[in-house]
Amino acid sequence: MNTTAQKNELIFGYSSGNLGEAKSLFTSMYLYLNSFAAKKASVFDNMLAQNFNDLEGVGLKKLKYTDCIKNNTSKKQNSNLPNNPLSRIIGDFNHIDWKTIYKGFKEFKIPVNDNDSVKLIKMDPGTSVPLHSHNGKEYILVIDGSFCDEYGEYNKGDMQINDQQIKHNPTACNTSGCVCLSITENDVIFFGKFGSALNLFTFIKSFFK
Amino acid sequence: MENTKINDLLKKVSEGRNEIAFSEIFDFIAPKINAYYIQNNLSIEQAEELTQEVMSTIWLKAELFDPEKSKFITWSFTIARNKKIDFYRKNQKNVANEEDIRDFLYTDNKSDDYEIESTIKEITKDLDENQKKLIKMSFFEQKSHKNIARELEIPLGTVKSRIRASLNKMQKHIQ
Repeated sequence: MNTTAQKNELIFGYSSGNLGEAKSLFTSMYLYLNSFAAKKASVFDNMLAQNFNDLEGVGLKKLKYTDCIKNNTSKKQNSNLPNNPLSRIIGDFNHIDWKTIYKGFKEFKIPVNDNDSVKLIKMDPGTSVPLHSHNGKEYILVIDGSFCDEYGEYNKGDMQINDQQIKHNPTACNTSGCVCLSITENDVIFFGKFGSALNLFTFIKSFFK
Repeated sequence: MENTKINDLLKKVSEGRNEIAFSEIFDFIAPKINAYYIQNNLSIEQAEELTQEVMSTIWLKAELFDPEKSKFITWSFTIARNKKIDFYRKNQKNVANEEDIRDFLYTDNKSDDYEIESTIKEITKDLDENQKKLIKMSFFEQKSHKNIARELEIPLGTVKSRIRASLNKMQKHIQ
């Protein structure tokens, strides 16, 4: 599965500032955990800044430098915020109000003002998600632990992007379990023995979103 | 303006609140910030308003700039970009009173701008003028693929495939 181009689009979208809240949060967490991705973002930031440097300035009609000299009365003091971008939004990881979906599988929906939904998923060691596919894209970032599926093993800082073409059956690693950040653009479609019941559950759940 | 010169001026601002030094920084960067906003389809009034916000941030937060690892041009670009994100959010319907989480996500820059300088040179050398132009239009000027196709009079599919090819080309240099 070649998702490099899709990962790049996410990183470059983040650098240019055109992602919504959900993907911005997701990508900033990805850059925080994955130094290679952070380097890519930095390269792109610098390239965009080069355009900025080459711009021919447009003279200001009214604004003078004295209009920009202010006392520091800013209400927002971001300097005391934790480094972990997710902690900035949801606070201490130990105090998350998890919702149990089924045995060994919990989730926490992160409130964002966006069409995409973003949630944290916690899977106990050995827990599986039944074989499924996605109507839209699904982005999964491993925050802690690891999981495996038909395409390989994913560890802390690894990202997986899935779409309609991909059917997978992720299983949390046997020792540590797994915590992931996930964005789904559309609902999941389940297959197999309990597939129709799970799809019905997803359908009913959509009324309560 | 040379990096050393601008770093010197910023030091004067952060350590001594030197207004003359700030006026030099203003003369250098404020017209570029203004041009960036105008290119991003903001009105002249909006562009000046946001330029003022960026320049005030530079004045207030000059001490947060680390000349050892950051370039002033990249630092000021990221401030300008963040103000633009905030501006668009405030102008969306129904969200005026809600906090945008992106405010919290675009503050830290852990990377070293000088370490990746050679990578950027290689990429710049490898991309042809058309590819650079497409990257600029899409990511810097935030034009939609559709608008780029219209402006350059090429098919939409070609715009998409060329952008993707350019990003893949860039990827090869980042190892």
